Amino acid sequence: MSRIGVFVCHCGLNIAKTIRVSELAEFASTLPDVVVARDYRFMCSTPGQEMIANDIKEHRLDRVIVTACSPLMHEHTFRKVIEKAGLNQYMLTIVNIREQVSWVTSDIEEGTAKAKALLNGAVYRARLLAPLSSRVIDVNSGVMIVGGGIAGIQAALELANTGKKVYLVEKNSTIGGHMAQFDKTFPTLDCSACILTPKMDAVLQHPNITLMTYCEISEVKGFVGNFDIKVRQKARYVNHDKCNACLACTEKCPGKGISEWDEGLVKRKAIHIPFPQAVPQKPVIDRDACTYFLKGKCRLCEKVCEQKAIDFEQQDTFIDVKVGAVIVATGYNLMDTSPLVQYGYGKYPGVYSALEAERLFNSAGPTSGKVTLRDGKEPQAIAILHCIGSRDKNNYEHCSRVCCMYSLKFAHLFKEKTSADVYQFYIDIRAAGKGYEEFYNRIIEEDVKFIRGKVARVAESSDEPGRLIVEAEDTITGKFVQLPVDMVVLSPAMIPREDSKEVGRLFNLSTDKHGFFMERHPKLAPLSTMSEGIFIAGTCQSPKDIPDTVAQANGAAAEALTIVSREKMELEATTAMVNPASCCGCQNCVRVCPYGAPLFNYEKGVSEINEALCKGCGLCASVCPTSAIIARHFTNEQVLAEIEGLMEF
Amino acid sequence: MTDFRQIENNLKKEAKRLLEAGEVAVVLAYGRGYDEKHPMPFAAKTIADVESLVFNEYCNFNMASYLMRYPWGTKIAIAAKAADSRAIIQLVQEEKVRREDLVILGIPAYGMKNQKTNEVVDSKTTGGLYNPVIYDILLGEEIHGQKIVSPYEVLAEYEAMDKEERWAFWKSQMDKCIRCYACRKACPMCYCDPCFIDQNKPRWADKAPQSPGNMMYHLTRFHHLAGRCIDCGECSRACPVDIPLYLFHKKVAKECEEMFGQAAGMKLEDKPVLVDFRVEDSDKILE
Amino acid sequence: MSFEPKILGIACNWCTYTGADLAGTTRLHYPPNVRVVRVMCSSRINPSFIFRAFQLGADGVLVGGCHPGDCHYNTGNLYARRRLAVTKKILEFAGLEPGRFRVEWISASEGNKFAEVVQEFTAQIKELGPQQKLKIDELQEKA
Repeated sequence: MSRIGVFVCHCGLNIAKTIRVSELAEFASTLPDVVVARDYRFMCSTPGQEMIANDIKEHRLDRVIVTACSPLMHEHTFRKVIEKAGLNQYMLTIVNIREQVSWVTSDIEEGTAKAKALLNGAVYRARLLAPLSSRVIDVNSGVMIVGGGIAGIQAALELANTGKKVYLVEKNSTIGGHMAQFDKTFPTLDCSACILTPKMDAVLQHPNITLMTYCEISEVKGFVGNFDIKVRQKARYVNHDKCNACLACTEKCPGKGISEWDEGLVKRKAIHIPFPQAVPQKPVIDRDACTYFLKGKCRLCEKVCEQKAIDFEQQDTFIDVKVGAVIVATGYNLMDTSPLVQYGYGKYPGVYSALEAERLFNSAGPTSGKVTLRDGKEPQAIAILHCIGSRDKNNYEHCSRVCCMYSLKFAHLFKEKTSADVYQFYIDIRAAGKGYEEFYNRIIEEDVKFIRGKVARVAESSDEPGRLIVEAEDTITGKFVQLPVDMVVLSPAMIPREDSKEVGRLFNLSTDKHGFFMERHPKLAPLSTMSEGIFIAGTCQSPKDIPDTVAQANGAAAEALTIVSREKMELEATTAMVNPASCCGCQNCVRVCPYGAPLFNYEKGVSEINEALCKGCGLCASVCPTSAIIARHFTNEQVLAEIEGLMEF
Repeated sequence: MTDFRQIENNLKKEAKRLLEAGEVAVVLAYGRGYDEKHPMPFAAKTIADVESLVFNEYCNFNMASYLMRYPWGTKIAIAAKAADSRAIIQLVQEEKVRREDLVILGIPAYGMKNQKTNEVVDSKTTGGLYNPVIYDILLGEEIHGQKIVSPYEVLAEYEAMDKEERWAFWKSQMDKCIRCYACRKACPMCYCDPCFIDQNKPRWADKAPQSPGNMMYHLTRFHHLAGRCIDCGECSRACPVDIPLYLFHKKVAKECEEMFGQAAGMKLEDKPVLVDFRVEDSDKILE
Repeated sequence: MSFEPKILGIACNWCTYTGADLAGTTRLHYPPNVRVVRVMCSSRINPSFIFRAFQLGADGVLVGGCHPGDCHYNTGNLYARRRLAVTKKILEFAGLEPGRFRVEWISASEGNKFAEVVQEFTAQIKELGPQQKLKIDELQEKA
């Protein structure tokens, strides 16, 4: 016989509007082993919590059922409540009558009936609950940050300044990310490099930061507090310990590769640093462009290198890193707009993508900061096209958030650097940020022409070869516009990195349909993920601007700190165990476990589960033909009882 | 086909040789029953035992079920017809027995008969094979040219039924079950101890021989044997009330083969399909 | 009174259960017939849970898990896909209407999909009528 208390929450009217809460509490009191049942306006409030605690004492309750919002919301809260009142925290059952009943039902009869069925299931299950003891583990105090853009840099510096060891992993040969490609940043128009490069340098100099460039994650094992991560150091063909960054090699190199930093507008050497302020200032060899790797002859770099740092035999190596928490800040890509043939990207030389335009403004860019077309001429008329591929049901439904603002910035810079007419083709201008509306107003004053309408087509002019005609409906005047220009800048959708699903798989993160990482809760846990101890920051979560990215990076650093600042931590006790008397030795559990937790004891002929490795998915319990495996908190009996209870009403 | 008498002689000869040489501790094969129609599973451990070995068309038993009675390291010779050899492979996959402990005495045969009904069982329970999939010593010549009947051909009639008829059929069959568990006793793959149905925590179903408990027992057992049943038909022949369990097992085997591209007990290096997956498995299998 | 089916939902904690919560947060209304049991992973679902649910009177069973490749436990749902497919074939060959058991991959962000699936599945079960084949009647249950 157990003694169950049932506590029905009204959640104001959130629940009480479509469920008769007092009737539900009355119903609860008729169920087996229920000794007290109450309803209250806000069970999660202090008086609500006190009510539960008092009843536990007064009625000697050994199990508590809270009938309220989703367990994903407040299970933790109520576990603490009953624990404080002297019960084992696993003696709590939450019945989700808000997210899964009152909010999805309009009829109070239906709502009340469904709530009763769920409550009945919970009572059946609660009767079979058993106290569990949490495991305490040591926490590794290091943090790994994946992605060396502004988010990763910011988080790394914040954490390193608290004295924690940080491993900053970047797949390119330099940190800096997209921000390093920008010339100016909106709305203040401060120079991107001026604010970024000191931070990049600070990362390099910081004693607590291990910078791991040209590295990729190859395997992630372990769990919160104790991640065991294998990092692949890609072969650079340059021994960075020997290299003194004289860069003589890059001068002599005859190989030509595509400059990623300049968005392919120019070539760079095969042995190269991506840009002058790159961190670290040490080159790598691009195999695909290197004359020696392609033709078997050359090795000029080797000849000029006084340090003997060139090593054509270098192989990828693997480095094992142990950390307590991880921040994933892998950033974004711009959508490749060439499949959207109506805009002519890749077909007409006058059509540029936004990042290409960024490079044209930059004094370290391919044109040394002069805005010129591919043929070297200065453009006379420029059209900036918003929402290319984003806010578009056929491509990406989301708004990329930054395009309106950088398009305005482009307009300003074009005006500053050329005498061209500048046109904005927009759906509507979204300028919701500090100083953004003011910036928009400023640009309007700068004689930039705004045409409200999504461009239907960019075509080549039949009269003037090389000139482009931008066709759109001006939705304010209702007129069809055909505007001759010689430069078109597309503002493509911001999309996840091409390998975001792969990164998600490695770190056990879920992604949305496009591949942006899913946060644990869109409002209350925007930086946490469903994987304990793994946090996300910046544009890998969704499109955002630099201020938001930096704020998230700081937030993620603080979140990571809440884990690595502890010496020990408690783990969920919901692991699996084997009842050896029932084990038939089929080893199904050993074959299926993704974590290698069950091992077969050949001597005894039974499986044994290493609970330190078990994550509690319960797969082993379901493949166990003899029911010898007990998935704690989700045992066969508990699940069957719940099903029985649910099907009774 | 080598005739049964000759196979019996070869069996005796090899058994004697293996025991004499000390290569094996036991020979699992068939021994004399109370008449010729009722041979019995037999474990020959001495040279004197060899004389009791027999082989004829009624020797249907799948001797693989007896392998697990011996601890690893015991050298065992086992007589294996086509389906029996698949059982051995399956048990090796599941690490219940070790290949290196076995001397497989392969028996190519067709025309095997049901003791009770005298009907030829080839089309029902040979898995479409006459020759053992694996063996060390073959006790007769391999069979070639004999008409191969698809192991799934007998299903056509049941697949053609509409769901109401099929339910009525299985319901009436399952209602007959007296829960003697002869099916699981005869099955070389049913080595669980305890069987889920004997568990009290949880109590998956009623233990009384009544419809709901019977259904739960059999449906779950079909799932446990999915991708593992090697189509020897022993469950059905063992059944005292003649429930054609083999039909259901065949159906599940057929579905597994279609969905996962692998039949049970065909290759030593395979992994049982339900404790395995492929990333490229199609969601269509759930439709 | 019209037939109101009882449908058992079994949802994994990380994707489908969270997706069902999202359907609530965004106030998407759907029929009240599905009662959800939360498990940590769709791979926890023992085939016998499904058989038992039908015996206990479920008119339909809906299983929800993460999309293949997105499993919180890496590969749990890939095993589940195979095991549940076999469960479905067994039920069908026994003579149960194929439409009574359904598996759907519903991610944490697919609240609308959860609501749509419940809507569609409930309508389908209503069409099929009460499930009486496997259901244990009162008298037998006492035995």
